[in-house]
Amino acid sequence: MKHPFQIVLANEAGTHLFSSVKNQILVFGLTGASQGKLIGSWIDPVDNLQPLQKQQQEKIKKLVTEVEDGDKKVKVPKIPTPGPGAPPIYNYIRSLYLSHQDKYLIGISDSDKSVLVFEIDYQNNENCINLIKRQIFPKRPSSITVDEEDDTIIVADKFGDVYSMDIKGPVIDDEKKLAPILGHVSMLSEVLIVKRNAKKFIITGDRDEHIRITNYPKTYVVKDWLFGADHKEFISVLNIPKFDDSLLISGGGDDFISLWNWHESKFITKFSIKDYVTQFLTDSHLPPERFLTEESEREMCISELIVLTSDSKHYIVILCENIPALILLELTSDLTFNYVQTFTTTFSIVDITAIEESGTIIASVDNEQDGEDKNLIQFYKLSNGKLQDASISNASISTSITELNPEIVESRHDFYPLYSVNTLRKRSEH
Amino acid sequence: MPKPYQPPSNKDKETQLKEQREAESKRKAYREVKFETREVAQAKKKVKHENELNLDLPRKRYYRQRAHSNPFSDHRLDYPRSPSEMDWSKLYPETFDKSKVEIADIGCGYGGLLIKLSPEFPQSLILGMEIRVQVTQYVQDRIIALRKTHAEQYQNIAVLRSNAMKFLPNFFTKGQLSKIFFCFPDPHFKQRKHKARIVTNTLLSEYAFVLKEGGVIYTITDVEDLHNWMVQHLDEHPLFERLSKDWESQDKCVEIMYNSTEEGQKVTRNNGSKWIACYKRLPTPDDCE
Repeated sequence: MKHPFQIVLANEAGTHLFSSVKNQILVFGLTGASQGKLIGSWIDPVDNLQPLQKQQQEKIKKLVTEVEDGDKKVKVPKIPTPGPGAPPIYNYIRSLYLSHQDKYLIGISDSDKSVLVFEIDYQNNENCINLIKRQIFPKRPSSITVDEEDDTIIVADKFGDVYSMDIKGPVIDDEKKLAPILGHVSMLSEVLIVKRNAKKFIITGDRDEHIRITNYPKTYVVKDWLFGADHKEFISVLNIPKFDDSLLISGGGDDFISLWNWHESKFITKFSIKDYVTQFLTDSHLPPERFLTEESEREMCISELIVLTSDSKHYIVILCENIPALILLELTSDLTFNYVQTFTTTFSIVDITAIEESGTIIASVDNEQDGEDKNLIQFYKLSNGKLQDASISNASISTSITELNPEIVESRHDFYPLYSVNTLRKRSEH
Repeated sequence: MPKPYQPPSNKDKETQLKEQREAESKRKAYREVKFETREVAQAKKKVKHENELNLDLPRKRYYRQRAHSNPFSDHRLDYPRSPSEMDWSKLYPETFDKSKVEIADIGCGYGGLLIKLSPEFPQSLILGMEIRVQVTQYVQDRIIALRKTHAEQYQNIAVLRSNAMKFLPNFFTKGQLSKIFFCFPDPHFKQRKHKARIVTNTLLSEYAFVLKEGGVIYTITDVEDLHNWMVQHLDEHPLFERLSKDWESQDKCVEIMYNSTEEGQKVTRNNGSKWIACYKRLPTPDDCE
């Protein structure tokens, strides 16, 4: 069986699909002559242990020179190698982002906590992505966003700090020299940059249910926090709809989504998805074993939220983690959410991406089957205000992409963790 | 949890353990009586018989807790969803409707500063924030006892358990505070623990948010390295400007801060040095919101 795609990301024009399996990035064509073909790829050559090994080597080098200088006896540390019982090492590509007009593809690699910048050249027939920068960060980046000028990347990390990074500038060798431009004392899950009345702001969401608005570039001036929606759990998705950039939709570990006017720090409304999602929850949605009690409930969390406009109506597509369904809502012009549809799918969905213009949604699915029904990519279409399965008309692309996925695994146990959003949930210690 | 240093003892291990257990259960029993007193004082419970309650000044030795707490861990904390949801009447039953909290002592420890500030600013509400459970309880009990024995006094001070590094904006609105105190904060000596320090570039922006223009940040420490660190970061922050030595010598709060906190008194007893730095909140730049 094949390893599912962890990430799928379509470009705005709907011509290319960027994806990731394990530590690989794969680019497929969706239209024209390159339809269903692999036109770009990259494998992360760094493994998780390398940064640690580098650090130990430096330590040893320092110690050895010290020994040569004096006659002190020191214990030289070993270079670590994992033993037979060591936990599995995942060399993830954690997320992928596209800059404006497909100029750059930006990835986050877990192996050495770096941000990867690729230049995209669709004319290059051998490989359309070319790594131009690999910047290591002190803590693992968790979310990034690109400035509208396409020259700066804003990087948020799991330590709560936000950095600004020049796309073109030189790589900073000592990552400890990087200075954050703002920070939370909590893991960050989302960062956005947005312009309003010719002023720019950074919006950050964290594991402590905080949504913060900060001035940019003068990031030392906090504009406000967004309160009033009663988010009790972590924030995992923040979305500013294209049709009105004063609005912000937030969601995460709570069973509802919220709508804000972020610029006026005003909470507008929220919508509970609990009734639609609960039926799909299984025991895999229970808390991890060491936190499991008699009273533990199955937990839902939102892993993806997409805004689509079709026939001048605005729709919200919600993906909850590890369920075989999408929830479709309408956001009406008087700013309320209306339930439209629960679209069930055959397999649990790992990730979704949308091509706005055609109302197409491409999903990567958690399919363990071999043989004819092995497809890992599915197509859905929003038409006449409903989601419909479009996999049959896209079957050849889907099959071709699945076949080009090079990662063959023995069983599910060899999968990289596909569902990690719910690990953000706080389990109080004391 | 690392154990504090104990002098070698002649007693065998079992007797030692037994004594430790007894001491702990004694401390626990003491705190349980005080817990009832607190419930009554916060009007959560009807008074049984006043004489059954322990209304004396609490004794510190029953509330000892190690000096460090990890600000990054997920403590079980009670905090409002937003400043507007905070019920201040529980903390200031007599005075809450007259004013808003204006002075915050972050990491107030055993509350010495609060108690000295109380008569100096009778018109302001003063809040101590402390992350350690038992230390917070000590300060609560101390305030309850003081309110009982000094009628009409100490109504403007209160304490609550919180992680100020994470949840300050849940308690205070933009520009609500006029003074913030950081007295003898945890120095977090290790390089990799520096983000756990209470003054960092990134956290200063949050303090600037809750502080009104012209408001003051007071810092005092007996660790020179930490003092230099705080000065460096406050100097670097565009929204803060250091106040002169002259200003310090004339400010009442500096004097109180120098002499009144438990940590400060300990430093004096040990003939240690104390470093002070005070900073004024500058106006927000015009091009920012």
